[in-house]
Amino acid sequence: MIMSQSGNMQLPDAHGYLDRVIGELRSLEAPHKNTLVNVLEYLSDHIRVTRSEIGALKTGSGNAQMFSTTTDELEEIVTETARATNRIMDAAEVVEKVSASLEPGPANALMEAVTNIYEASAFQDITGQRITKIVRSLQSLEEKLASLANAFGPLDELATAEQQPEGDAALLNGPQLEKAAASQTDIDALFASLG
Amino acid sequence: MSLNKNMRVVIVDDYTTMLRILRNLLRQLDLNNVEEANDGDTAYHLMQKSPPDLIISDWNMAPVTGLDLLRKVRADAKLKHIPFIMVTAESKTENVIIAKQAGVSNYIVKPFNADTLRAKIASVCPAMA
Repeated sequence: MIMSQSGNMQLPDAHGYLDRVIGELRSLEAPHKNTLVNVLEYLSDHIRVTRSEIGALKTGSGNAQMFSTTTDELEEIVTETARATNRIMDAAEVVEKVSASLEPGPANALMEAVTNIYEASAFQDITGQRITKIVRSLQSLEEKLASLANAFGPLDELATAEQQPEGDAALLNGPQLEKAAASQTDIDALFASLG
Repeated sequence: MSLNKNMRVVIVDDYTTMLRILRNLLRQLDLNNVEEANDGDTAYHLMQKSPPDLIISDWNMAPVTGLDLLRKVRADAKLKHIPFIMVTAESKTENVIIAKQAGVSNYIVKPFNADTLRAKIASVCPAMA
């Protein structure tokens, strides 16, 4: 098997070796060579397609940052839900304070509702922990993919152009990350500038 | 069972929202003497300055986890007697067993409600009742 200086198998070399074997087999006069040649050609094609797909994943336009962007989006969810939860808690604390000045009946009813809000607000902690686990899984997947891509050797020449959305579809990007998003003031200024 | 309103409680969680939830629920139990820490290390230093009457801690924190904190507290002659409630999303049997072996006083799984919190506090602070 073809090995690199570091001892790792170099798939592109192995692929070339396989193609040479196929070529030599074809030149033989063996009666049953076609079945073997077909199998090896299938393997060769399969390796070529897989290398191409890995190459696209590794180097395709936009894919280089796919994992970090996804991670940023997930972390933004945590930030946004924390912000929303704190606003809900702000409101609940106001209700709790006001309830102290009411008659026992309505005061107790409001306090019970406020307690329910506090209890339900714990969802943010749970979802935050779940999302953190997903982020770690993504980071692990990214590392494994990089390792796999390295095993496949140079892939830049194999990278296929990523299918970018066009027309109206290209306008659908979902909510922007806060650090990249325009503020309402920015939008108003832009809108006004458009006449 | 009523609780000693003067008891000093240290709550530990790396999610500030959860600290706020805990503080508010404790306030509804008339427990207003509450101090917060965002991680196990900060909490431990807080306790060494002045030992609290009750510790309520999350498990999943870095770098000092709730389990680390529990073990440090139980190994500290000045703190080892303090009731320690673990409030965590870690609900596997092995987690509960390990926490129990480390000396946890009670264990609350997130999400929890105010009644559960009250019951667990009352169960670990009988002298406070």
